[in-house]
Amino acid sequence: MKELKRISRRQFLLMTGLAAGAIIASPSVDGLFKSSVAEAAKPEKEDIRDVLKKFFDGRKINYSRVKLKTPIIAENGAVVPITIKSDLPMQKDHYVKKIYIFVDKNFHPFTASAELTPANGKAALSLRIKMRKTSNVRVIMETNKGELYGAKKMVKVTIGGCGG
Amino acid sequence: MAKGIGKIKIRLPRRYHKGDVIPVKALITHPMETGFRKNKKTGKRIPAYYINDVSVYYGGELITHMEWTIAVSANPFMTFYLKADKAAPLKIVWKDIKGKQFEKTVQIKPQ
Repeated sequence: MKELKRISRRQFLLMTGLAAGAIIASPSVDGLFKSSVAEAAKPEKEDIRDVLKKFFDGRKINYSRVKLKTPIIAENGAVVPITIKSDLPMQKDHYVKKIYIFVDKNFHPFTASAELTPANGKAALSLRIKMRKTSNVRVIMETNKGELYGAKKMVKVTIGGCGG
Repeated sequence: MAKGIGKIKIRLPRRYHKGDVIPVKALITHPMETGFRKNKKTGKRIPAYYINDVSVYYGGELITHMEWTIAVSANPFMTFYLKADKAAPLKIVWKDIKGKQFEKTVQIKPQ
């Protein structure tokens, strides 16, 4: 009886020790494994602020005069239709030279750009884009005089579109 | 998926007058692979393959030039505007990163 009790106690201690060890060890091992896998699979992220600085060299963006139409909730991030409109003039001496589209939380926020000329008659564009997750969509228009106008809108994404 | 790359559908309004600003809708068939996706059976990554350059010529003059990245949806659908002030051909040229080039011309005939 005594013997049995001692053994059971020893076993108990051994078991608890093992269990505790396993618990302590498991998350770290798991975490390490996960992070290394994630690093291999995911490309480098670019921050939207750095990207904007790179594109516009710190020039001030006026968030007005551009209208951006997007769905409020995108069911499928692989196909998000966006429509850009603006009341900016398209005359020979004053026109929208370039439209930029950015998605803040994509790995590479720069999505597309379009160089326009007065022959377009209208500073407008529609396109379908991909979004990895819920974030802002940002549109910036540059006129031939160097003014920057923009618009941004939050789009909720329920299924990501960049294949991760 | 590789089937049909290089196809385009261009849609113009049925009737328009000289000087009208008309929408031009174009649907290009292209997989627009991001390079992040994996083949589920083999686990191998599908290499990136996308259109990065689209040009629109109206009567021989470059009117719109677009630069695209992987974040444009597969089978890109775009709408842009055009001031139809002359009867001239409208040519859309697009290139992908494998260096393939495609083009299609439609006639702009204002009434």
